[in-house]
Amino acid sequence: MMNKVKSNDYDVIIIGGGSTGTGTARDCAMRGLSVLLVERRDFATGATGRNHGLLHSGARYAVTDHESASECIKENKILRRIASHCVEENDGLFITLPEDDMAYQSKFIDACTSAGINTDVIDPDLARRMEPSVNPHLVGAVKVPDGSVDPFRLTMSNALDARIHGATLLTQHEVTGILREQDKVVGLELINHEIKEKVKYYGKIIVNAGGIWGQHIANLAEVNVNMFPAKGSLLIFGHRVNKMVINRCRKPADADILVPGDTICLVGTTSEHIPYDQIDNMFVTKDDVDVLIREGVKLAPSLAATRVLRAYAGVRPLVAADNDPSGRNISRGIVLLDHRERDGLSGFITITGGKLMTYRLMAELATDLICKKLLVDKQCETADKPLPGSEKDGFSMKKAMQKTYSGLSISQKSAQDRHGSLAHKIPKGDIYEDSMVCECEGVSVGEVKYAIKELNVNNLVDLRRRTRVGMGTCQGELCACRAAGLLCEAHGEPGKTKDDLADFLQERWKGICPIAWGDTVNEIQFISWIYEGVYGLKPHDN
Amino acid sequence: MKFDNIIIGGGLSGLTCGIKLAEQGRKCAIVSSGQSAIHFFSGSFDLLNWVSGQVVENPLEGMGSLPDTHPYKRVGLENVACLAEEALLLLDRAGLDFSGQANQNHFVLTPMGTMKPTWLTLGDFTCFSQKETFPWKQAVILNFTGFVDFHTLFIKDGLAKFDVNVQIKNIAMEVFEAIRRNPSEMRSTNIAKKFDKGTVIEEFAQKVNELGEGAEVVILPAVFGLFNKSVAAELKAKINKPVLLIPVIPPSVPGIRSQILLRQRFQELGGTYLLGDNVEEGTFENNRLLDIKTKNHGDIKLKAEQFILTSGSFYSKGIVAAPNKIYDPIFGLDIDGDTDRAQWFDEKIFNDQPYMYYGVKTDKHFRALMSGEPIGNLYVAGSVLGGANALKEGSGAGICLLSSLHVAAQILK
Repeated sequence: MMNKVKSNDYDVIIIGGGSTGTGTARDCAMRGLSVLLVERRDFATGATGRNHGLLHSGARYAVTDHESASECIKENKILRRIASHCVEENDGLFITLPEDDMAYQSKFIDACTSAGINTDVIDPDLARRMEPSVNPHLVGAVKVPDGSVDPFRLTMSNALDARIHGATLLTQHEVTGILREQDKVVGLELINHEIKEKVKYYGKIIVNAGGIWGQHIANLAEVNVNMFPAKGSLLIFGHRVNKMVINRCRKPADADILVPGDTICLVGTTSEHIPYDQIDNMFVTKDDVDVLIREGVKLAPSLAATRVLRAYAGVRPLVAADNDPSGRNISRGIVLLDHRERDGLSGFITITGGKLMTYRLMAELATDLICKKLLVDKQCETADKPLPGSEKDGFSMKKAMQKTYSGLSISQKSAQDRHGSLAHKIPKGDIYEDSMVCECEGVSVGEVKYAIKELNVNNLVDLRRRTRVGMGTCQGELCACRAAGLLCEAHGEPGKTKDDLADFLQERWKGICPIAWGDTVNEIQFISWIYEGVYGLKPHDN
Repeated sequence: MKFDNIIIGGGLSGLTCGIKLAEQGRKCAIVSSGQSAIHFFSGSFDLLNWVSGQVVENPLEGMGSLPDTHPYKRVGLENVACLAEEALLLLDRAGLDFSGQANQNHFVLTPMGTMKPTWLTLGDFTCFSQKETFPWKQAVILNFTGFVDFHTLFIKDGLAKFDVNVQIKNIAMEVFEAIRRNPSEMRSTNIAKKFDKGTVIEEFAQKVNELGEGAEVVILPAVFGLFNKSVAAELKAKINKPVLLIPVIPPSVPGIRSQILLRQRFQELGGTYLLGDNVEEGTFENNRLLDIKTKNHGDIKLKAEQFILTSGSFYSKGIVAAPNKIYDPIFGLDIDGDTDRAQWFDEKIFNDQPYMYYGVKTDKHFRALMSGEPIGNLYVAGSVLGGANALKEGSGAGICLLSSLHVAAQILK
């Protein structure tokens, strides 16, 4: 089967630009299928970009969900190989505090061992030295191969590689209808939000990788997939207080994981069942914040005095099973539905459940099924072939630090972190390209230009996901305007860019409001004065 | 150390109050922790631009519809016209050339290329009498090559709505290459420093004249005259057509210059400006503040007959938010603001935000309240007063200037 021919016909159309969707697009494209991926907003805007960014070892699930735990550790090892530029090999600690049941530790270790997860029991004294931020009152600690993963980078690398293998990826394309011929799905009707136009695409197989939104997609095809929306809230702190992931060694509960990532750290999550009609309306409440801080401080006491940068919430795409109100006892296992077998509707499959850690495996399972249906006999290679950005032999953050960092400017180092071996594509050397746009995150004019040109950037919020512009301690105080200037140069639509700037500030505001006290209030008041007062920016119709 | 009056806060309010008191022969000190809101000054001072979202033509009239808790109402509408006039004269004596009238707003062009109403505008900038028209049809916007803090396309886009034909050009000069070499140094103040020396002006003006050929007006970023106050005027004199300056991303060069001029005026009048010092606490007795302790002076307490708190809003740390309260970090004065943080913010950033109204509570004479009782010799003025969303109204500088002058008058009575 040949790669894409110039028409609206594809072998496979994938709905959803999260890790599962882009992963499936990559896998399908690598197996020679012609692929279209459609995403209603931007890559990684759903649960993919709204979690801890924890490279699970699987230890967290070892006691309660053996299957998920074994999947995690396998994928953990694979991601370290194929996505090394998205991964920080930090290791993790499972700590027991005086109030926890020490007996849980041995049960935990046994469960990890049976799932294939290495554990090292660490003396509390050694744990305090290995991880100085840890609660000094700990009475037990177990080291596991946890790490951190940047989900934006990971998703973008999958998208890039899918494109390299001939896939077409359309963001800002929302599915409005599923086209059927009797008992067969043949295509999609979409709205292109950029130009507000309806468009139709046809595919032999349509893959529903819409995460929590998959229920809605399935409904459009007149089949039922009942999701169990569980909101999880997290807090981002303005400093990276820990170098290892810190977990509580007990049955999973609220706010018991602290993950370091880049220059920050994250604590989460809460778990709360929410009505399906609220999944697009996520906000973090005052109570969520209070719980996260109260519990987070038990992991690392210094969090009490660390500035909270923002709060956010995601919705786990769990598939409903029973009436558990917390959603925690539902398996996070992978669900692959062949709607022909299940509902008598051919040409339509749903891949859901699972988690960020198992996105690749989910993609592999979905693609295996697609290939079986299309009679394509080609093996999956995604576990072996590195993602763009990680192709260099043994490229890893640590090695990059030692080898390629000498003589580079701050923005070049940051770009290396963010784009791995693709960093050379960023224009540099020219004084203008090197000028700094975002001082908090070290983003240069060249990097912004590269992202706009190569990485499907439609607006400033997309740009943030690609480059971290505005993600630092100032939350877009001045860089947003500089980046807007560059976006305006590239797209030539100043009116739209001004509105976009207002949207960007609103998007930042949403995450700041729940945690705005101390310096954060000072910062947001300053931002409002600059943009609204001095610049004269309006919320819309600029 | 003993003074007649000590002012806590060295921004627009503190300096205005200090200058007025010093002009009347008071021995004054200002304790300033550092930079102030003037550092992101737009070039204009607002008195009252909008009421309920509608543009105000005559601020003095517009004030009539403000609530009684508003600082202007508390100053007394019968006093505001006079105080506004006094403010203009005080600025003038400090060497700040502002123009505008309290009974008639004029307009200035924003960095978004839109017209915004305002009260007083610094001589660097251009006042327009109408918001619907722009006096020129052919404009050229000139930027420094590599300067990313001036948004030419936004201005061009805004001017297109006035049917103005706009060209955008860059100016490259040897003298700016050195600052461009460091990726984060090409900022407004560093460009301004090059012009401060005076030698660049001639060559720059010549380039502007060449590139501005055919245009009726030249639009430039407002980066002229940091420590040297004559740069903007000298430059304009050498350019052969009208020059329109537009604010850039902070820090504001005209703002820093204004702050310096006000401070110099205060010091020339004999005032003591304690820069980089923080007031930590005060000694109170019988509802009077006897002295204050500062970080730099330690055990050497500063005493005064009257104290004026002009410490600003949140961003100046005049009031501080903790997870469950808003407080004044110096004395623990009574605060007008909700303790439940769920009430502080509206979910839309551009909406009227409750936290913007918060400030220190006072009696009708602007004396601070502590546990419900006024402190007889501790006055409050400027943004720390609260009672208004100065951003939404466009009243920030007006509240600072008028309340400070009013408080100074109370003290001088």
